[in-house]
Amino acid sequence: MLKNTLLFSLLALSLTGCVGLNTVSMTQVPAQRDNVITTSSASWNFIGINFSNAFVDEAVDKLKGQCPTGKIEGVYTKHQTTGYVLMFKREVIVSAYCNEV
Amino acid sequence: MPIKLKSILGLSFLLIGGCSQLHHVHIGDIDQSQGTLTPFTIQVNELGFDLAKTAEIGAEVAKSSSTSEDLELVAFILAISNFGPKTGNPVYNDAYADKVLAEVIKVCPSKKLTGLTSVREATNVGPASGEVVRINGYCINNNQTNNI
Repeated sequence: MLKNTLLFSLLALSLTGCVGLNTVSMTQVPAQRDNVITTSSASWNFIGINFSNAFVDEAVDKLKGQCPTGKIEGVYTKHQTTGYVLMFKREVIVSAYCNEV
Repeated sequence: MPIKLKSILGLSFLLIGGCSQLHHVHIGDIDQSQGTLTPFTIQVNELGFDLAKTAEIGAEVAKSSSTSEDLELVAFILAISNFGPKTGNPVYNDAYADKVLAEVIKVCPSKKLTGLTSVREATNVGPASGEVVRINGYCINNNQTNNI
């Protein structure tokens, strides 16, 4: 009985969706789209207890670092949460175009 | 489990439970080609309050069973009254975020803004919360210093 319960639980776990898409946003896409830059930053927590959302600012800094003297345009921002067993990963994934002027 | 220990554990979870929540992020275009950038942050917040949750807590800690049942019913009525899509706890002022535009314009003497990041977040303490709208951005200096 216990074996069946464990097997059933494992099967149920494998069928469970684990990613939640929180928000998506996009800015004006430029005509010049040669240089694509991407970055992401994440924050892990236990059973959803968080104390800071500073990982968002980290993503912006990383993006700026990849295009230090140009224009970052067509910014696509995705905010998602992935659930593992009792642990959650909050993540901001960003892609954009870097155009030198 | 003894009631006192249960209450202490419940209160502890209530205080630390989901302290900081991130609802929405939007990162805007960043122009680093026109000069040095000076960062700024504008933040507005409003008190959010979950009355149904408060009634639920009241039902848990009520000494008499009749009071507990009454509070459970109140919590249920409040919960179904506020049922529906929402972001964070309900607030008592629907215009608290409207002043961010004026604040953002005021903060940059050069009037040139770039890299606006809009964040909708909340800080929760039990049934109460601070419902926050935060705008981070940069003033383009054009080789002159902004005093923020």
